Amino acid sequence: MSATGTDCDYVRARTVEEALDHLQVSEGQAKIIAGGVALVSLMNQKLFVPTALVDITRIERLHGIRREPNRVLRLGALVTHGEIERSPVVRQACPLLTEMAKEIACGRIRNRGTLGGNLCHADPQEDPPAALLALGAIVRIVGPGGVRTVAISDFFVDSFQTAVQENELLEEIVVPTPQQGTGFAYIKFGPRRAMDYSSTIGVAVLLRLGAARGGVAEVGIGLSGVGPTPIRAEAPARILMGQKPDREVCERMSAALQEQIDPLDDFQFSADYKRHVAGVLMRRTVERAYARAVTAGQEAS
Amino acid sequence: MTLEMMLNINGLEHRVTVAPTETLVDVLRDRLHMTGTHKDCCMGICGSCTVLLDGHPVSSCLLLAVQAQGAQITTIEGLEQDSALHPLQAAFLKHAAVQCGYCTPGFLLTAKAFLDEYPRANREEIVAALEGNLCRCTGYVKIIETILSVAER
Repeated sequence: MSATGTDCDYVRARTVEEALDHLQVSEGQAKIIAGGVALVSLMNQKLFVPTALVDITRIERLHGIRREPNRVLRLGALVTHGEIERSPVVRQACPLLTEMAKEIACGRIRNRGTLGGNLCHADPQEDPPAALLALGAIVRIVGPGGVRTVAISDFFVDSFQTAVQENELLEEIVVPTPQQGTGFAYIKFGPRRAMDYSSTIGVAVLLRLGAARGGVAEVGIGLSGVGPTPIRAEAPARILMGQKPDREVCERMSAALQEQIDPLDDFQFSADYKRHVAGVLMRRTVERAYARAVTAGQEAS
Repeated sequence: MTLEMMLNINGLEHRVTVAPTETLVDVLRDRLHMTGTHKDCCMGICGSCTVLLDGHPVSSCLLLAVQAQGAQITTIEGLEQDSALHPLQAAFLKHAAVQCGYCTPGFLLTAKAFLDEYPRANREEIVAALEGNLCRCTGYVKIIETILSVAER
C-alpha cells in the first residue's frame, strides 16, 4: 500500500446530483470512476495518480437500455460493452452496435467497461466512437446548470479530451436506430485477433439503398484509429451517394479519406501504412454493408 | 483515507482495510495471501489475474478492491469443491495442458465461466472465449483441446 494510495479520497455517489456535488466541491480534482478498466490501467502505469475518486457505478439512473418509439435507442452511460453485445434489444434495433461491441478488447474488459466511460476516456483507437459517428448519435451531459445535448461529431475534441467539462457527467447516449433494411458493418484491423492495445483501425458503415438501380441513398461512415480523434468520413460518404461501391468509386472514396485522416507513425505501423489500411478497410466495410443492404432488400420483396 | 470493508471471496467473508487505489489483485495476493491469482501486465491484457465477479471473468488488476465490495468473487482457490478438483482442473492435469502454470488459473476460470453459460460450446466458440488469455509456453493447442474435451462430455 503506497503513501499515494492512502492519500486518495473515495466516495460512492448514490445519485447524479451527489456525483455533481462532489465534482463541484473538489474544484476539478475529483475523477469519476465507472468500470475502471481505462482509469485503473493508467493508475497501474503511474500515468494517473488520483487525489479523489467519485464512484458512480451504483447510480441507478445511469444504467439501462431503452428502446423508444420513433426509432430511438437510449443507452445509460453505465451500460457495459458486454451488455450491449448480449442485448437482444440492441441486436434487433441496431445490429451495428452488437457487431462493434464484440470487437472491443476481450470479454473481461467488456464485462466492466462502460460505454459512457469509453466515450469520456476518448482514446483515439476505441471502437464505439466509430459506430456512434456512423449512426449520428447524440450524448446527454449533465452539469450544475442542467442537461445539455452534444452531437457525437462534436464530442471528441482531441485525444483523451472531450466536450465533457470537469464539473459534468455524461449520463446517456441516444442513438437514432436505422430503418429496416439498412445495411451495416463494423470491421476492425489490428495485429491481433483480439485485445490489441496498440495500433488498431475500426470502420463502421451504415447505408440504405435507393429505390431504383441499387445506388446508395443514405450512408454514414465512422473511423477510429486514424488520427487524434475518431472521425465521420463525410467526403467519402458524399462520393458514394447515388453510386454502387465499385472499384472506381471506392478508389475515389479512399483518396478523399486521405484528406480527413492524420495517423501517426508508431512502433508497429507507419503512418503511410495506416493510411493505406484505412482506405482498404473502408472499402471492405462499405462492400459488406452494401451486400447486407442488397440481401435485406431481396428478402423484403 | 482507508476503508474497512468485507470482501466475499469463494463464499467466505474477509474483513480488510484498504486504500481506495488498491486493486483486488494486490489485496488477494498481499493481504489475503491467496497467490493463485497471478499478476503480470497490470493492464488487463494478459488474463493471468482473472477472477470471477458474480460469475463473470474480470481483470482483478483493473478492479479497485473497494469496487469488489458486495460482489461474490471467485478465485482459482475456489474452483475445487470439498477437496475435489473441478472437471476442468482434472482435465488440464490429465491432458498435460499446463507447463509453467502462470496462465492456468486465468484460463481455468475463464473456461469455467464460459462452459457454465455454454456447456456445449464448439471449438470455434471456445477459441473466441479465450481470446483474452495469453500463454507463452504451450502454444494453446492443448489448452483448447482440453476445454473442448470437457465441453464434449
